[in-house]
Amino acid sequence: MIRIEGARLLATLIRMVGDLSIAEEAVQEAAIAALAEWPRKGVPDHPRAWLTTTARHKAIDIIRRERARTGKEQAGVQLMELSRADDPPDTVLRDDLLRLIFTCCHPALAPESRVALALRTLCQLSTAQVAAVMLTSETAAAKRLTRARQKITTARIPYRVPADAELPSRLAAVCGVVHALYTFGHAPLGGNALMNIDICGEGLRLARLLRELLPDEPMPAAVLALILFTEARRPARSDATGEVVLLADQDRGLWDRTLIAEGLQLLDESLRRTEAIADPYQLQAAIAAEHARASSYAQTDWTEIARLYDLLVAVAPSGPAALSRAVAIAERDGAEAGLAALHGLASEPRLEAVRSELLARTGRYAEAVVAVDASLVADVTEPERSYRERKRAEWVRFTREPSQRC
Amino acid sequence: MTQYAALIYTRDVDWSLPEYADVSEGYGKFSENNAASIRGGAALYQTSTATVVRVKGARGGEVVTTDGPYAETKEALTGFYLVEADDLDAAVAIAAQIPAAWDGAVELRPVNSMGSDNG
Repeated sequence: MIRIEGARLLATLIRMVGDLSIAEEAVQEAAIAALAEWPRKGVPDHPRAWLTTTARHKAIDIIRRERARTGKEQAGVQLMELSRADDPPDTVLRDDLLRLIFTCCHPALAPESRVALALRTLCQLSTAQVAAVMLTSETAAAKRLTRARQKITTARIPYRVPADAELPSRLAAVCGVVHALYTFGHAPLGGNALMNIDICGEGLRLARLLRELLPDEPMPAAVLALILFTEARRPARSDATGEVVLLADQDRGLWDRTLIAEGLQLLDESLRRTEAIADPYQLQAAIAAEHARASSYAQTDWTEIARLYDLLVAVAPSGPAALSRAVAIAERDGAEAGLAALHGLASEPRLEAVRSELLARTGRYAEAVVAVDASLVADVTEPERSYRERKRAEWVRFTREPSQRC
Repeated sequence: MTQYAALIYTRDVDWSLPEYADVSEGYGKFSENNAASIRGGAALYQTSTATVVRVKGARGGEVVTTDGPYAETKEALTGFYLVEADDLDAAVAIAAQIPAAWDGAVELRPVNSMGSDNG
């Protein structure tokens, strides 16, 4: 709640000032002022207006300091004096937030920079928290953020909601950031979660915000549906000891049916809005919906899922999609077919893990061990590592004592 | 308004040859359609005509020249424009009309006016 307020405040300030860095500094100084004053004087009747007014005054100070220092007006910065109400109406606020979102997710910024900027400005995480989420050092995260802000200023990336003609492709970039951000939380941080940040919660919140801001667009609805389906399975994804529980073994009774119902409704609405070929998010959401509908792994409609993955790799080819497609094909047609589907795909740890499972299913345990070894690289998360090592031990036993195989 | 350099990367050929007349025509059309935004530019001869200059040690040291280009890239730097636009999106809209954008690439970089200030 507080953090969405921070993002709204930032968005408003950017509109007033025209510059992300100055707006961020001003918001920070206003927050410090609030922390100093409110405990003493009490929280004001209209805290948002108080913060906005204070931040605007801080921004004016910052701009004046900068002008005095360099002797000139920074390009693009404008000082809006008391022309706008300090508690902007919802429609203005909505536009401010959209502008901020589209700017953070501009295609001219590197994908990781977009995610970092979104974490910082929309989720209001500290630089240290951004670093923890993205598995980099604080210095690296700070550098990335600074460079992104500099690029926005120097290359003059505009603060604008894209025109209708550009909206679909720009919206795809935004949805990509939101989904990537959520996925960072889905994969547990390597080692211990020192920062205790609920990134899945942040990603879900952002997806809901995007959906709220653009209720008539099909893509935000599809992304939200996808995230809801994934989130619904969270309670079943790890057991009491923190070990990974695969989809095949999850207790579906633990899945959050309310989230699933909401997701199904959103997906339905999204598909109704687009009569043409489904976009990648709709496809991924439809796949997740199939899993959600199945009462068990065995009852899953693998034919439909494989069909959806065929479409997905055609529309938005990617390593992960191709890998999941191979898994679906294995479920539909058997392990050999799945292994065939892996041909031609670039080797990488996750793929080797899948390959090892499929090899084991066909009884080729020695090869399975080789493959799983290739999957146990440095930055595998702890739960996944222990799972793969357990399987490896099992397969090694089977190669030594063929009579033990079941 | 900001100035951007639009650096053009395409196949490394002599674009002035008659067999590439269509392409040259395409560039001519681009220049015409965007005359208001273009502040300069030039086509370059092939990379085989390039010379790289380095000076050894310090200023005034030995001048060493080697047969260019500076970097061997898949596509070659074959020309540039100087365009003026309100912001990056506007510059991108202009750059997208450069023929190289279709089968090569155009790099956009803001010009550093080095404090001589037009903003």
